[in-house]
Amino acid sequence: MGIPLAQMLTVARYVIRQRIARRERYPLVLMLEPLFRCNLSCTGCGKIQYPTSLLKKQLSVAECLAASDECGAPVVSIAGGEPLLHPHIAKIVRGLVERGRFVYLCTNALLLAQKLSELEPDKHLSISVHMDGMRAEHDHSVCREGVYDTAVAAIREAVRRGFRVTTNSTLFEGADPERMRQFFDEMMELGVEGMMVSPGYSYDKAPDQDHFLRRERSHRLFARMLESPKRAWRFNQSPLFLQFLMGKRDFECTPWGNPTYNIFGWQQPCYLLQDGYVRTFRELMENTEWSKYGHASKNPRCQDCMVHCGFEPTAVDATFRSAKALGATVAAMVTGQL
Amino acid sequence: MSEPGVREQIERAFGYRGHVTLWHRDGTKLVGFVYDRGAAHVEMFDEQATTRIRVPIAEIASIDLSGEDSAAKAQQIWERRRGSLEPPSTSAWGDWEEGPTLFLVALPIELRSVALAIGSNHRAATVRGWLGERRAVALAVGPGGGAADAVEAERPRFVISCGFCGALDASLGSGDLVLASTVCDETGDALGVAEPVLRVARDALAGDARVVEGEILCATRVAATRAEKQALARPGRRAIDLESWSVARAARKAGVPWLALRVVLDPVDVELPAFTREARRSYVAYAARYALGGPRAALELVSLHRRARTANRALARALLRLGPAVSDLGRAGRTT
Repeated sequence: MGIPLAQMLTVARYVIRQRIARRERYPLVLMLEPLFRCNLSCTGCGKIQYPTSLLKKQLSVAECLAASDECGAPVVSIAGGEPLLHPHIAKIVRGLVERGRFVYLCTNALLLAQKLSELEPDKHLSISVHMDGMRAEHDHSVCREGVYDTAVAAIREAVRRGFRVTTNSTLFEGADPERMRQFFDEMMELGVEGMMVSPGYSYDKAPDQDHFLRRERSHRLFARMLESPKRAWRFNQSPLFLQFLMGKRDFECTPWGNPTYNIFGWQQPCYLLQDGYVRTFRELMENTEWSKYGHASKNPRCQDCMVHCGFEPTAVDATFRSAKALGATVAAMVTGQL
Repeated sequence: MSEPGVREQIERAFGYRGHVTLWHRDGTKLVGFVYDRGAAHVEMFDEQATTRIRVPIAEIASIDLSGEDSAAKAQQIWERRRGSLEPPSTSAWGDWEEGPTLFLVALPIELRSVALAIGSNHRAATVRGWLGERRAVALAVGPGGGAADAVEAERPRFVISCGFCGALDASLGSGDLVLASTVCDETGDALGVAEPVLRVARDALAGDARVVEGEILCATRVAATRAEKQALARPGRRAIDLESWSVARAARKAGVPWLALRVVLDPVDVELPAFTREARRSYVAYAARYALGGPRAALELVSLHRRARTANRALARALLRLGPAVSDLGRAGRTT
């Protein structure tokens, strides 16, 4: 497993506390989007299409920290936009780490080498580099030549300086399972701590509408890609979630598991859908009509979604719901088999 | 328009990734971005995205999708370039390149004042910090040169030449500040500071009796004696330094706004030790050797050190006021 023991124990303690308190819904990962501006225009991204005045807007350090305090999730994923374009990203990270949060600083790594000196290595901080595959696939996905090489160089430098580094790969129609397996080898050789994989969500605002994976295709792709995983591969994800991607398990979405906060407020219902905004986290949890979302709801926007922000919290919760699921998780961690 | 019609328009505006024009029933209009809607109201950001506005639905007559649709635009761009990638030379900042305010000084000792102003520690020949929300970089480029390379490397939004100068105006003492209206070289070629920049600088420094405005002469050698300084003095010419000319030229060539703010180290009647005549990257060894010349030489150096400290403090105070004001003037990132 590519998740450090301290982080696993913190998350386990947190989930068990929620279970003891009989909380039906609780957040696991705060998705913090301090800005929407980005230095890339990826084909499958529907996050950054806003008027310039909104793209220039950003959350302040205090707003970011207040959102984390309000939400209370043990893990914070700083997404966007490109977070490294935020002038005070280092202060945001430092503030979250000081609060004991496990922080995933998501980045396309174009500015990472420049910004590393502003950040401090910490067991609570993981730099999560967006890598959609081998050089050709990644550069094609982000629509710019040379991005893969820049990211690889930045990963090497970050690892050399003692940072925890993970990768985050979004897969689309046409992804080649064999090439992805080579990609996993390559990332492990670079010294990354763990990898995250997920099918892309079919944002209706994304430029390329032709290459989003449907559910069945996702299962087939992930089953082939993760079949007989190599011992060297480490995934920074719940094994149960990976089994779900492979079609070996069926989970329902947990949209409240990864609540999202950005310049508009708390986003309803999840990181991917924008059905509205509320001012407080409590309003988000109490006023959102959760039954309108997820696979079982028949909401057409949820039917093909298998993205980790909705299903990883389900997998983590499931781990602690039965001895069988806990056993399956432990077995996968020990044997490396999925 | 009927209420169902307005509600339909609200839903379209909510899904629209561009500005809309909302017409009130009293005939007034509001341009902005609709980011949410409730049973009885619409939530908007104004056009500059600085203010949240809640508009009761009962007050809305109609909504036009008047601004450019950012999602449609992204789709068109992608369709146009389908298959082709942006070149690797594309800026790592994308459309958001926002260069720093660049402070150029000659000697590392002069970085102290800038480091104080940009909230950073002075450790090496480069100091990085912030002026409010904007990045700031200070470099010691050596006396006389290096400005062009620094401007090319840092791609700044604004350049400030600062550091020590010698007074050519007898009324100026150590720690007095000279805001350049023009800088000129020894041949008489002159570059003027842009009037809007000067205006902002004057406003930022207003109330400080120790700031004067005028011409700065940029020489190739230090004017160390009273006689040398008097020979270079002209009406309106306030001070002499070694760098401002090359800084101004480099900034102008790069199309970046600039200004020069220098602090007086040596007044007209104060003579500098002979070893300071030549432009050097470091004067430490020369100063040490000079100090061995006897008690008088040592006292001279102590006095020079005190003047430098006074000058640095005065410059830091001025830069704290000037920096944030002028950095907003500089070349910004994407503006369309």
